[in-house]
Amino acid sequence: MADSDEDYIATDDEEIGAHNVGKGGRHRGAGGAAAAAGRSGARSKNGNKSGGGAQKRERWEDIKRSWDNVVEGEDGSLSSTVAGLLEAGKRKRLLKDTTPLQRGIIRHLILILDLSSAMMEKDFRPTRYLVSLRYACDFVREYFEQNPISQLGVLGMRDGLAVRVSDLSGNPVDHIEAIGKLRLDEGKGAPSLQNALEMSRAALFHAPSHGTREVVIVFGALLSSDPGDIHQTINHLVEDKIRVSVVGLSAQVAVCRELCKRTNAGDESVYGVALDDKHFRELLLDTTVPPVTRSAKMSASSLLMMGFPSRMVEKTASLCACHSALTKGGYLCSRCSTKVCALPMECPACGLTLILSTHLARSYHHLFPLKNWVEVPWKAASKSTHCYACQIPFPHPPTKPEELSAPAKTATGTSVSSRYACTICHNHFCIDCDVFCHETLYNCPACQSSVPKGKVSNGAGGRGDPMEVD
Amino acid sequence: MDTVDASAHYSQSIDEKPSLLVLILDTNPYAWSTLSATLPLDRALASILIFLNAHMAFSHANRVAVIASHTKSARFLYPTTTTTAAAGGSGGEDPFRDANKYRQFRIIEDQVQASFAELMRQTTTEELVDSKETMMAGALGLALGYINRLVRVDDGGIGGGIGGGGGEVISMNARILVVSVSGDLAEQYVPVMNSIFAAQRKKIPIDICKVAGETVFLQQASDTTRGIYMQLEHPESLLQYLMMSFIPDTATRRHLVPPTQINVDFRAACFCHKNVVDIGFVCSICLSIFCTPPEGAICTTCNTKLDISALGNFGGSPAVVSTKKKRTKKLKQSKATSFSNEASATSTPGTPAS
Repeated sequence: MADSDEDYIATDDEEIGAHNVGKGGRHRGAGGAAAAAGRSGARSKNGNKSGGGAQKRERWEDIKRSWDNVVEGEDGSLSSTVAGLLEAGKRKRLLKDTTPLQRGIIRHLILILDLSSAMMEKDFRPTRYLVSLRYACDFVREYFEQNPISQLGVLGMRDGLAVRVSDLSGNPVDHIEAIGKLRLDEGKGAPSLQNALEMSRAALFHAPSHGTREVVIVFGALLSSDPGDIHQTINHLVEDKIRVSVVGLSAQVAVCRELCKRTNAGDESVYGVALDDKHFRELLLDTTVPPVTRSAKMSASSLLMMGFPSRMVEKTASLCACHSALTKGGYLCSRCSTKVCALPMECPACGLTLILSTHLARSYHHLFPLKNWVEVPWKAASKSTHCYACQIPFPHPPTKPEELSAPAKTATGTSVSSRYACTICHNHFCIDCDVFCHETLYNCPACQSSVPKGKVSNGAGGRGDPMEVD
Repeated sequence: MDTVDASAHYSQSIDEKPSLLVLILDTNPYAWSTLSATLPLDRALASILIFLNAHMAFSHANRVAVIASHTKSARFLYPTTTTTAAAGGSGGEDPFRDANKYRQFRIIEDQVQASFAELMRQTTTEELVDSKETMMAGALGLALGYINRLVRVDDGGIGGGIGGGGGEVISMNARILVVSVSGDLAEQYVPVMNSIFAAQRKKIPIDICKVAGETVFLQQASDTTRGIYMQLEHPESLLQYLMMSFIPDTATRRHLVPPTQINVDFRAACFCHKNVVDIGFVCSICLSIFCTPPEGAICTTCNTKLDISALGNFGGSPAVVSTKKKRTKKLKQSKATSFSNEASATSTPGTPAS
């Protein structure tokens, strides 16, 4: 995946090793606030790989040839193997923990963009600066898609200062416009983590206790030029229950790692360093999933009164209460009938939170995830000939008895019979429907199209049980 | 002369993809029996078959699927897995030899009718007791799963994940048409909503042809996915409505002014009594909606103890301000007389002083 990067680091290591011959061991360049521990710690889960030292075989010593995986099929073509590999890839992406966890659904998040001179590097095309702005826009869209009743603000780090790009608000258009304006500019000066963190701490000060307080930093530089002690700022962040996650663009930075670790109760997986363009996008968009609530103290639970107004259209234009603009139609507050033009919003007259029920419904799949489907052995495969949802025909069971008794799960993690069964309704699906149902639909079509036994409403079984706190 | 740019004429014809129509037919017998005076089910089915043929007639590559949303199950009417048996058994002679009919029309008609008859044959009277609902969530799920396979060109597993795959190639324009007759889907709120969002992400419009009844969620479905919503005033002319309003595909609609509903009901159903509410109470942990604060302030969905102090005394009886104790009154009595003259003079400006 990132072989070229590994090679680059390797030469680095070689040099350090050469200098340290007398000490009889080769170790990484020492920490310090801005010491690069190398790109191999892209996800810090993998980070300990690099710490092994002499006993461990290095990556380049185990040669993996991608063509070794490809074997000719019985008919002499590669299509069956390639299809198998594709299926394995899809399945691997899919299997994740589906315990219904308590999550902070009402979020308050500050996105901090690095606008320093380090962002003018061209290792991401065209520049880090433009790439990060483009993905920041994607992030804003996806964030409001996943968390419609949450708030977002954007800050920038430039010239040693924290720059306010857009205020904390619930309207994605404002943020995207503000980020778009940065496009004309370019990265300048050094970034200051401390200033940015202090400013976001101030911005999140008023966030209510039932919501989360989060900061996401896109960090391209390897240094932070701070006016004071950043460790004190980190302590303040911990006190204020603000969680920080960082997406690095160049290399792992020790202070970022500590920042993530301290503010996330020891969990370092929120610090990632992007290997390439795609990985960067992936890391940034991963933060749009609502965070798991770690302890009951993290967020107070409360009952909120909300209005669900209906949209109406008027014959003549009238002023809306939110922007004082003439509009034909909008939403009437369900308590005081004040007209507002967009939702979600707090009623300017009576203060009632006005949302659409569809906003709430968008978050349900985070709370009641669909259970993973299981592989089907050949013995149980005879009951279905077609995928339940898309009607694609399944392969027929083999005639040889020894093949028939093969285990359900193949070495690559796929189902031996290409069938995947829902554990609740026991209907069979193909891999594409499996991926589609778990990543887009969040329903089991078969559970929904037969009479539920015991009224499990989402096929998730999450109802009625207290949600687990991780 | 040099400024004439002829390329504009060609650039518009690029987007000519075949279209896929998935029709979901609500087959709840109760609802259809109330309609029997104006539009019996067999006539409705005949109209729908003509409509499907019209859709197929547009292009050889157009595809169609029919799903029945019945009282206790949702299933495909076309295409079915038992293709040959169903098609061959109905006609008697070989359907493919009939020279007077386009073969594709014949196949669809035969299969839909055969599997529809099969569905009705399997429906027993005891099954119908107290079942006024329809399996709309399941039918939408099946429709989306089917569309997902037909429409998507496999991109080698690059897309997907969060963001739904940026570079996905779409080979067909798909849309869903729901012919709905029954009301209330409150029991299936979450799954129906999930289906709607999935359709929105995949840019599949959901058109609603509402023959009878009223459903808030289907209104929201068409509004969210930018589909057409039509409440039929004269159900007996179903075919006319279908042909005039629902036949244009997604690419054509850009040049038309499709009928949409103006006022959408966005009220939500509460989780406790399935009432449709416009002011509700929402649990901050699981976002369950309640019509009144739940008993003991414990959320019935996630069993969390909720803090209701922020609500104030909403819904409670109005408090009465208690009178001050007499002792303090006595103390101030001497002062009160001296203030009373001033107060009457200053407190109400504009009124003549007494």
